[in-house]
Amino acid sequence: MEAVPLHAGDPSKRTVTRALRYALFVSVALAAVLLAMLAVASGNDRLLESHYGLLLGLNVAIGIALLLLAAELARRLWQRWRAGLFGTRLMVRLALAFVVMTLVPVGLIFAVAVQFLGRSVESWYDVPMERALESGLSLGRASLDSLLVDLQAKTRSMAGELADVPQNQWAPTLNRMRERAGAQEAVILTGSGRILLASGGGYANLLPDLPSPAALRQARGARLYAAVEPLEAGAGGEPRGLKLRVVQSIPLGGQLGEEPRFLQLVQPVPPQLAENAEAIQQGWRDYQQLSLSRAGLKRIFRITMTVTLLLTVFSSIAASFLLAGWMTGPLSMIAAGTRAVAEGDFRPVKDYAGRDELGVLTQSFNAMTRQLEEARALVERNQHELERANARLASVLANLTAGVIVLDEDFRVTLANVGAERILEVGAEAMVGRRLDSVPRLAEAAPQILEAFAELDEGTHLGWQRQLAFRRDAPGTERRAESRPDAAPALTLLVRGARLPSPQRGWLVVFDDVSEVVSAQRAVAWSEVARRLAHEIKNPLTPIQLAAERLQHRLADKLPPAEAELLARSSQTIVNQVGALKLMVDEFRDYARLPAARLAPLDLNVLVQDVLALYAPIEAAGGLHAELEPGLPPILGDASQLRQVIHNLVKNALEATEKQPRRAIEVVTEPVRRGGSVAGVRLVVRDDGPGFPTGSLARVFEPYVTTKPKGTGLGLAIVRKIVEEHGARIDAVNRSDAAGGTVGASVSLLFTRLAKSDDNCGAHTTLETSQPPVVLPVRPAKS
Amino acid sequence: MKRRTAIAALSTAALLAWLPAARPADTIDVLDVGVEPSADGEAWLLSADFTLSLSPQLEDAVNKGVTLFFLVEFELLRPRWYWWDERTALATQTHRLSYHALTRQYRVLLNGVPQAYGSLPEALDAMSRLRAWRVMPRDRTRGGVSYEGWLRLRLDTSQLPKPFQITALTNRDWNPQSEWKRFPFTPETPRSAP
Repeated sequence: MEAVPLHAGDPSKRTVTRALRYALFVSVALAAVLLAMLAVASGNDRLLESHYGLLLGLNVAIGIALLLLAAELARRLWQRWRAGLFGTRLMVRLALAFVVMTLVPVGLIFAVAVQFLGRSVESWYDVPMERALESGLSLGRASLDSLLVDLQAKTRSMAGELADVPQNQWAPTLNRMRERAGAQEAVILTGSGRILLASGGGYANLLPDLPSPAALRQARGARLYAAVEPLEAGAGGEPRGLKLRVVQSIPLGGQLGEEPRFLQLVQPVPPQLAENAEAIQQGWRDYQQLSLSRAGLKRIFRITMTVTLLLTVFSSIAASFLLAGWMTGPLSMIAAGTRAVAEGDFRPVKDYAGRDELGVLTQSFNAMTRQLEEARALVERNQHELERANARLASVLANLTAGVIVLDEDFRVTLANVGAERILEVGAEAMVGRRLDSVPRLAEAAPQILEAFAELDEGTHLGWQRQLAFRRDAPGTERRAESRPDAAPALTLLVRGARLPSPQRGWLVVFDDVSEVVSAQRAVAWSEVARRLAHEIKNPLTPIQLAAERLQHRLADKLPPAEAELLARSSQTIVNQVGALKLMVDEFRDYARLPAARLAPLDLNVLVQDVLALYAPIEAAGGLHAELEPGLPPILGDASQLRQVIHNLVKNALEATEKQPRRAIEVVTEPVRRGGSVAGVRLVVRDDGPGFPTGSLARVFEPYVTTKPKGTGLGLAIVRKIVEEHGARIDAVNRSDAAGGTVGASVSLLFTRLAKSDDNCGAHTTLETSQPPVVLPVRPAKS
Repeated sequence: MKRRTAIAALSTAALLAWLPAARPADTIDVLDVGVEPSADGEAWLLSADFTLSLSPQLEDAVNKGVTLFFLVEFELLRPRWYWWDERTALATQTHRLSYHALTRQYRVLLNGVPQAYGSLPEALDAMSRLRAWRVMPRDRTRGGVSYEGWLRLRLDTSQLPKPFQITALTNRDWNPQSEWKRFPFTPETPRSAP
């Protein structure tokens, strides 16, 4: 048996698919590494510093990826929630719990850390420190300025002296003055910056240090340029010290048009001073930079912290989903198993790998499923057997010719079988659920039945048995088209009643239609009577006749003519009556001693034509009409007996219509089809006489029931006896017109024993072949 | 669910706030550019004029001793019919601007040549004039071929102190740069060698 997969073959329904899980793992790992690098870079590591932006970007990207993953997970969870999938609530609760459990402490730490870092960064800066640095810078500037002022004064005096000296004497004067002033270098320049004279200068520099064009421009305009300048740049471009440069125009009074001359003195700042000043300046600059970058620093920390926070939060959210999924997974599995069991799928769920309580639960669940399946199989088997037994019972009930009616305690019909329907000619729908005295056909007999049950209640008998007779033709009953259009023969039922055993309190009524049995019993009794009577009567008849004849013979001549004539008439009457009596007795004997029929295949039409040949004159006069369907299948019958039957019937019809001026007697043969094949042959003899008297219709076939002034009443009895010997059915009805008036009688014979290819079985075919096959099961009462 | 949505919205907003804004303000522009052969005929010399001004924040930073590095970038491309153009030449030049508080001077290192100016506009003015920059050897180009020159001047934010780098990532005032200036350049077919 295959195990039920975790989510019943639909992996897309899973909250955390494999790809998503791997993506989560990778993202979290990456986030951790990047965070570590970012933290290092937030410090002062030179290597990572230049990549800070990149790192930050990567972290943000990972953060976004995690956010998207978390959002996707949340979306799937939401979908599951909406779909009402099992386990979602637990999953959501777990996930929320995890999220809160991480969010609160991380948020707290974040808030504290941001606050703390902000405070500590701010605390690096203070006003006194800044003021000290500013002051130091001012001091440096002041000392440099004083040096510059000093040099300026020297330059001015030198320029004044030079102005008094002719130009050709400038060279020695300049040298002397430079040495006196202690300047490093003195140069005389033209306005365009051309060197006229140079004195001193470092040995390293062959060229004197020239002022920049801007400086020269200023000197030309303001007659003076004085500035502290950096020393020539070293290899790294960084100035290694400071120098003072003063450019002063030489006042050559009155010599207009001549190019102005400028004196430049360059003096290096003493290294000690320069270094200190530079250090102060450096310190100031660093401090300024720091204070300026305060906001940026705080921002870096904040960004790093925030990224850390977000990464942590997103990771924890994602992890919480994973954890929740991991914990609810086996639950979903069991839920799927439960659903499967509910749908009748008893396969065990896949064993959960863990050794924890969930694993135990899964195993127990599987064990339960197994037991459940066994139990269900057992129940199914039992039910199957029960159904089979029920069906058997129902079929037995349905095939029972006896009517069975089950009543509840209030004598309401709860069940009626097909036999009951057939006998009562009432549909089961009309019976089930009704009280016994309101069931259409039974209403008449209901008081007697109830009474019998009441007696049963008092007595100790288990059941009762009664023979009840009532009219078949109860009002509201559906009439059969031809066979019983008029007063139907009385119905005699043998009814047995019993109490149902206790679990289902109620009453059971079983009844059989014994009308025919009663009729047959009557016929047997009659034939016995007839035989005995015939025997007893016939014996003295011949002596009576002989005695009467002898009386007449002997006394005819000895009496006077008047008496003789009386005698002759009386003896003749005696002889005649005795003859008639003999005939009657013979008929009785014949009826009683009817020989057993010898069945052989014969054609009914031929037989009918044979008999009708005797009535050729009447037929020729139009009083008798034969309507024979050609091609009838041969039936099994005794030709001579059947001839007598036809003869009797035709004679009866003729006698019934004797007094009519016109008569129309029909003899009809026709096949009876059932389901496309010929199931029997029907012979009908109809007349247009007065019909059978109402009330005697049920007993017309019994001996000594006659409607004729003369007649033994044995004709139809013999007919019936023969017909029964042939296994055929006979029905006598009155024909009625549309207005309901009787317009004649009709007797029909239905032969169902046909001479088939295998004649042997024909003799054993019973009446049942003419009955409809049983299809209706017993209808139980509405439950 | 609501909590998660709120968190997502907050974090998204925070992330969006940090993303660089669209495009820095035009505090730098390329005005003129020209390329001509050097006197010895060995190289191409590029001359250009820029407008260069600093935002108040940057000016403040300079006055507080922060050294700014400006980058002049030049690219010469030969357009091709398919997607990628051929890069014929690539040259960069770094200008350094710093303030010397002791002497109250703005020092500029223009392509390795140090200069000092008394005021910031002078220093910027000096940096905005680019003269005779040897961008590539003469034989790199072929006569009569149409090239596309690209030139721009920008602040090299990667050389800023780290805290300012972060600021520069998000604040356009801290990240001035010119648009790439595109100019056509078609060297003449060299006449007979001099």
